[in-house]
Amino acid sequence: MNAAAISAHIEPIRHEYAEGRSLILPALKYAQTEKGHLTREDIEAVAEATGFSAAYVESVASFYDRLYLQPTGQRVVSVCVTLSCMLRGSDELMERICDRAGVSHHGGTSEDGMITVQEAQCLGYCDHAPAVQVDAEQTRGPLTLDDADALVDELRTSPRPDELWR
Amino acid sequence: MPIRNVVYRQREAGQVLTDLSDYRRAGGYEALRTALTEMDRDETVYAFVRSGLRGRGGAGFPMGRKASFIPKDSVLPAYVVCNADESEPGTFKDRELMETNPFQLLEGITLAGYAIGAVRGYIYIRGEYEHQARILDAAIAQARTAGFLGQGVAGSGFDFDITLYRGAGAYICGEETALLESLEGKRGQPRLKPPFPAVAGLYASPTLINNVETLSALPAIIEHGADWYASMGTEKSTGTKLFSISGHVMKPGNYEIVLHDTTLRELVYDIAGGFRPGREFAAAWVGGSSVNVLGPESLDTPLDYESMAEAGSSLGSAGCIVMDDSGSIVRATLRLAQFYRHESCGKCTPCREGTLWLERILQRIVDGEGRMEDLELIESLAGRMVGRVLCALADTGVLPVTSAVRRFRDDFVHAIENGGVPRPEPMMEVPVGG
Amino acid sequence: MADYAPVDLTAEGQVEFELNGRRVSAPAGTMLVDAAYALGVEVPIFCYEPRLGAPIGACRMCLVEIEGMRGLQTACSTPVQPDMVVRTNSDIAKDGQDGVLEFLLENHPLDCPVCDKGGECPLQDRTFRFGPGRTRFVEAKRHFPKPLDLSSVIALDRERCISCYRCVRFSQDVAEDKALVMQERGAAAEIATLTGDQYEGRFTGNVIDICPVGALTSIPYRFTARPWDVTNTPSICGHDATGTNVELTLREGHVARVTARPEPNYAVEEGWLSDLSRFAYEGNRAPDRLTAPLIRDDGRVKEASLDDAVDAAALVLGRGGRVGILVGPTATVEEGFLAQELARTALGGARIQRLGIPGAGLDAIRSQPRAELGDIDGAGLVVIVGGDPPNQQSIVELRVRKARRRGAAVITVGPRPHALEPVGTAVRSEPGRLAAAIAALDLPEAASTIVLWDEADLAAEPDAAGALARIVGDRGASQIELGADVNGAGLRALGLGAGDVLEAAAAGEIDTLLTIHADPLDGPGAADWGWALGRVRARIAIAAYASAVTDASTVVIPAATHYETDGVYVSMTGRAQRLRPGATAPAGAAPGWELLIALAHRLGAPPPYRSAARAFAAAAAARPALAGLDYDVIGVLGAPVAAVTPVSPNGVNGPREAAGTGLPLVTTTRIFGNAAAHRSEALASVRTGAELVLNPAEGERLGIADGARARLRSPHGECILAVRLAADHPAGAAFATTGVPGAGVERLLPADRGPVNVEIEAP
Ligand SMILES: Cc1cc2nc3c(=O)[nH]c(=O)nc-3n(C[C@H](O)[C@H](O)[C@H](O)COP(=O)(O)O)c2cc1C
Ligand code: SF4
Ligand code: FES
Repeated sequence: MNAAAISAHIEPIRHEYAEGRSLILPALKYAQTEKGHLTREDIEAVAEATGFSAAYVESVASFYDRLYLQPTGQRVVSVCVTLSCMLRGSDELMERICDRAGVSHHGGTSEDGMITVQEAQCLGYCDHAPAVQVDAEQTRGPLTLDDADALVDELRTSPRPDELWR
Repeated sequence: MPIRNVVYRQREAGQVLTDLSDYRRAGGYEALRTALTEMDRDETVYAFVRSGLRGRGGAGFPMGRKASFIPKDSVLPAYVVCNADESEPGTFKDRELMETNPFQLLEGITLAGYAIGAVRGYIYIRGEYEHQARILDAAIAQARTAGFLGQGVAGSGFDFDITLYRGAGAYICGEETALLESLEGKRGQPRLKPPFPAVAGLYASPTLINNVETLSALPAIIEHGADWYASMGTEKSTGTKLFSISGHVMKPGNYEIVLHDTTLRELVYDIAGGFRPGREFAAAWVGGSSVNVLGPESLDTPLDYESMAEAGSSLGSAGCIVMDDSGSIVRATLRLAQFYRHESCGKCTPCREGTLWLERILQRIVDGEGRMEDLELIESLAGRMVGRVLCALADTGVLPVTSAVRRFRDDFVHAIENGGVPRPEPMMEVPVGG
Repeated sequence: MADYAPVDLTAEGQVEFELNGRRVSAPAGTMLVDAAYALGVEVPIFCYEPRLGAPIGACRMCLVEIEGMRGLQTACSTPVQPDMVVRTNSDIAKDGQDGVLEFLLENHPLDCPVCDKGGECPLQDRTFRFGPGRTRFVEAKRHFPKPLDLSSVIALDRERCISCYRCVRFSQDVAEDKALVMQERGAAAEIATLTGDQYEGRFTGNVIDICPVGALTSIPYRFTARPWDVTNTPSICGHDATGTNVELTLREGHVARVTARPEPNYAVEEGWLSDLSRFAYEGNRAPDRLTAPLIRDDGRVKEASLDDAVDAAALVLGRGGRVGILVGPTATVEEGFLAQELARTALGGARIQRLGIPGAGLDAIRSQPRAELGDIDGAGLVVIVGGDPPNQQSIVELRVRKARRRGAAVITVGPRPHALEPVGTAVRSEPGRLAAAIAALDLPEAASTIVLWDEADLAAEPDAAGALARIVGDRGASQIELGADVNGAGLRALGLGAGDVLEAAAAGEIDTLLTIHADPLDGPGAADWGWALGRVRARIAIAAYASAVTDASTVVIPAATHYETDGVYVSMTGRAQRLRPGATAPAGAAPGWELLIALAHRLGAPPPYRSAARAFAAAAAARPALAGLDYDVIGVLGAPVAAVTPVSPNGVNGPREAAGTGLPLVTTTRIFGNAAAHRSEALASVRTGAELVLNPAEGERLGIADGARARLRSPHGECILAVRLAADHPAGAAFATTGVPGAGVERLLPADRGPVNVEIEAP
């Protein structure tokens, strides 16, 4: 995303913050909606739009799990593996999703570039354990192993969303 | 059943309250009108103090006291920050509030803002709650259009607005000073205290930080009176509390109960449906995961701040994770240790290195490479973390580890002596009740 | 490094408390670590570094027990409180310190034997003294691929990093270059730049000094020496006029490294060095270094011994013709004084001048109350007039940034853009019209004002110096000269003027010229000097490096550089400080002061001293500006020379009109563009050349494109430069880089650096 597009997103909310630095995170999140991850160009565009150094912007981005500095698949599936979900089978779910997506049990991006599977810490969906989140938009659960297969298949064939909020 | 839906007004109303008119029909914004027209700021703070409401984010600090710390003579503007980072394992009570009753939160923030003379409120919501964030965005827009936010709130002379700020995936940003750093566009790493946020918080301004549930309780306190609120529960644990219960219980979910009126046993068995046939209670982390784990002997503990402390744990965020006897305490402990290692911000040495070390030891034990002296090592390392770290992440994050090693020592010894712990049968393909 | 902040235990407002059972006191507000250190109790630290700003309490190394407080407290972030009871050595406190060390070493490679920091490493040292009796970590350590080059001069070994944040805070909060950051989180966190970038800036090397482990090391120094085969000598940086205090690390007679001193000079550099100060030492052994004396005879050049060269020089000088002596800007006070003595005694009637800016009219501003660099921090208003401190007196930049962080207003006035302009309010003056810009200044009220002014810019506009002096006087402000020459102030203190020899030579009144560390043919007014020197019959050069002058001298005597000699430099703020020989001069060279004494002996006028110290004492006795000084008085941290006698700021009238036609020439300088930077291999990847910068509108008007070459012509000379068009440079002026070896911009300038215009055309 270029600096002008990012500026158009953050300038209307600039007055809400006493310091412009606060706009870095909104800018990063917005910049990421285009490709689903942040390229060096995105980082530099955020730096330009916010007036902070690209190194600084990248360091902020690298702190947060949900800002991606490496390419991701078209959809990101986050499988909660924290205690409540683990008790209800998240490890098996993770493995099944990884198998179906064709990535290692630690997660990764499928060869066709459609799906990234990753472990996530507690998603706040423990009442739906075991739960997964697709991008940051839909949280689903409880999932059975069959649901897991169906989810992967569905994401493989679903159209790319206009904006990728992760 | 001792359910009392005060904060969960949407449950009482029997419908989601994401539309302003529905919320108003359910009594919404009456409290704000009352405060703005009948109470001055000090009276409002005093009502909070008298209600006895304690912070619902985990630490349980009296909300009104914290509000009274905000200096009146500051040249800088004051802010209210709502902690909607809800990332404590097993905790999902705030999610329901934001999803189904967002205006009550906005009203609560506005009340707090009025009480401390703030110019703006911020809601810091965890990045994974994008769905909830959109609901809040829409609610803020509606409230603004209806004059409940902006210049002259509800026709009064009070100017106040609310900004929603999305996090991006970091548990530590629930810690109040890390949250402020993140909100200031920095890496979410805790600050040294003092100064406390009430004196120098967001942008070095006086800042009141409270949890979603804490702030959502304020309208009811103003509407029905502090004394009414304080009449529920005990002297030190007043009012109702939202409990998230999850794990091996049959009816995981959120339940609002009056503090002290219910025991852990009642919560687990009567409210949350108990376990699969043939399974029994083994352990519970009642206050989220950053607490001492409890065994069956604690089942009759009443659920309130003092009783939980007496039982050797704490009420925390009231995210109650329950494990039945099919689970492995050793594996559960490793999983929590992994959580804290993953979430350590890395700023201070004992937390950064200690959480990593603890995870490594527990992993070895699970993998069958544990040594007896590891149990003492865990104890010793934890002792070198507690009271020596920058924030409470490790201070409380070691509790589930040390308490498990103490309370369930036999399980650890068994794992060490018998080549580790195989993965137990998970509870899967069992329909969720509730 | 500095580690603990200095504490004045005699200051007013002391707080009494108990430290390890002792009743003690320290000034209110002092951090416990600093108070304890001043009281003889060392609390170990890693992240604490008072020069980086407020403590961050990250490493937790400084844990101490304070009665009544839960857990252990970080002494680095706890101010002393009345009656607090502190224990730094109780069992629990020691367990705290031991525990942090155990955690730090958990993932540390413990590769001290192959680490450049070994032997001078705080982590190693503190582990010995406060550390774990045993390690209980049996897992595999965190592992990174081997060292990364953070830049061409700094290596990063991530395995050794203890995440103390010192380097990051230096980059973010001190240098403000914002380039060094922490990436990732938790145990995966690592020091980094923007992925793929190098760490570049004017001050990057400081992170090597402040890193408390061997994570950041100097690439030029890497593997060259171990602490036990080196010696360290405190000295002064000889590459600008700030008088930056340094420490020279010597190995086998050579300078192996330059670092900040362990005890910084808070009045001067505060322990921060520019990369020029730090890495230029490699030029000490550059190919153009003169290492053997030369005697030219009828066009034949022959190498000679030092003795023979001095004899030959004495012979030429003693022949009886009219002698001129030219003292260059890097000559020490001793060298200048001995040259004066030579002119007075053995060569009675010889003319002598320093090579530098004449500065008529500057005494008006120079005689206003002086400030030290250390005073800038506390100023309410900092005004910078002319110049380009970040490139010329670099360390000043850090002081100004610090002042701004502490709330000072900063105003810059001048003809050229520079890195401190964005720090405050920038007023752009028209070339040659500084006085008008100064007169139009609307300065805010401030409790204390410090005015920094550029020697060269104000010398070119004496009326501006007068106008500024009046402002300083009226406001009760103090002033700091941004000096152009390394020891300009020292040579001025000797009473050396800057015009005599040139005038005399131009008039054909000099037969023999002795140059001492002076190469007038490569500096401003090169063309004028060239013409004048053409009339001189014999030239004798005492110099460290080859130059156009040494190439044309009958006798060339190699001299020691400032790394190799005793001597005194006076900084631009009037602080006399000692150079101490770090390295030994090449066999065929000797310190200038020795050579001058030898010359005086040969000429039959032996001075009554045989050491630099005695020579300086004689200078101090003879020159009022140096009265009361000697090497002991100067000591390790220096002492002020006498202030300039007050001169009325009135009586200077009207701007000086520029010679020639065309665009006014505005000279610029680049920190890594001068001869010292070009000599040092360590700076190879950052050094810059000369360029002509024009506003794009001027480029269009002149028909010159970005990247093209252009010929510049002034009444004094001409040169050809690459052109850069830059919108941040105003139209109506030509900006050309001086100081770059071989570029020749100096040829455009008059010897007194007065204003000139240049015609620009495609070559
Ligand atoms: C590591 C850590 C994580 C925390 N996470 C949360 C959180 O997600 N939500 C929350 O309300 N408080 C959280 N807290 C507590 C906050 O620091 C703070 O005490 C709370 O927001 C105050 O609000 P309250 O008084 O209304 O509870 C966390 C604390 C720590 C140390
Ligand atoms: S590289 Fe050195 S200075 Fe920088 S954080 Fe690591 S240990 Fe500290
Ligand atoms: S020196 Fe005190 S915490 Fe690092």
